[in-house]
Amino acid sequence: MAEEQKQGGQEAPPAAPRAEGGTPGGGHGGPGGGHGGPRREGGREGGPRREGGPGGGPGGPRRGKRQYFRKKKVCKFCVEKMDLIDYKRADILSQFVQERGKILPRRMTGVCARHQRWLGVAIKRARNIALLPFAGSAVGSTAPKAVEAHKS
Amino acid sequence: MEERLYDLIFIARPATPEDEIKKVIHSIEHACTEKGGKIEKAEHWGTRKLAYRVAKHREGMYYYHQIRTNHGELISELERRLHVQDSVIKYMTIRLDEDLKRQKKLTEKREKRAARRPRRPAATPAAPAVPAPEQQATAG
Repeated sequence: MAEEQKQGGQEAPPAAPRAEGGTPGGGHGGPGGGHGGPRREGGREGGPRREGGPGGGPGGPRRGKRQYFRKKKVCKFCVEKMDLIDYKRADILSQFVQERGKILPRRMTGVCARHQRWLGVAIKRARNIALLPFAGSAVGSTAPKAVEAHKS
Repeated sequence: MEERLYDLIFIARPATPEDEIKKVIHSIEHACTEKGGKIEKAEHWGTRKLAYRVAKHREGMYYYHQIRTNHGELISELERRLHVQDSVIKYMTIRLDEDLKRQKKLTEKREKRAARRPRRPAATPAAPAVPAPEQQATAG
């Protein structure tokens, strides 16, 4: 009887931490991987951090309309190695603009942070020169054809 | 002052006659020669639909110039002249040389990095096929 009591006493303490660890959203062992998850996956894939990051990956329990898993998006400008985003190319810029004329967020287009900043600058310049709208649909967003008109 | 590169775009009313446009362009060229600037490019993008109404017009004639100069005052002079013209409904000047410098720097960095990396020798299709049948022969 004494032995049973001792065993009961020994079993009780280990049971308590197990219960604590089982609660969702707790600690590093929890599902979803917390904030360390997406970074680790980016490293395993072997690509630069910025490519894997903005897609979000399977990051945490998301409550919303977005799906839980999203495919990894790569920055188009990094792939094409564009070091200069030309504000005159409305056809390229209009891909990163909503129907209403708003700039799309990085998590939807997969653009890296640096290119998103440059893209914002280019889109705002294009808006100022009426190549892109401030609000409303971008009609006539074909690239302008350059014609040499003034040969003297 | 170091040399600067500017983009100058102006939009003229859609039905503007050629003479008016020539006057505008001539005044730009004149200002450049006065103040010491060089026109690198002059393009006419034709009549395009505008993304929004400008001066109650839905279309406009786009003209593009690229100007290289040592004097920053040239740009304010050009803008002043364009502002005065009735046929010009919108204009914009952008300074380009810093962006181009950065682009050049990044391109050079990338090329340097690529040159440093040891390039893999191109794998010939014949090479893997040759040892394979030998291995099969030894295994069999």
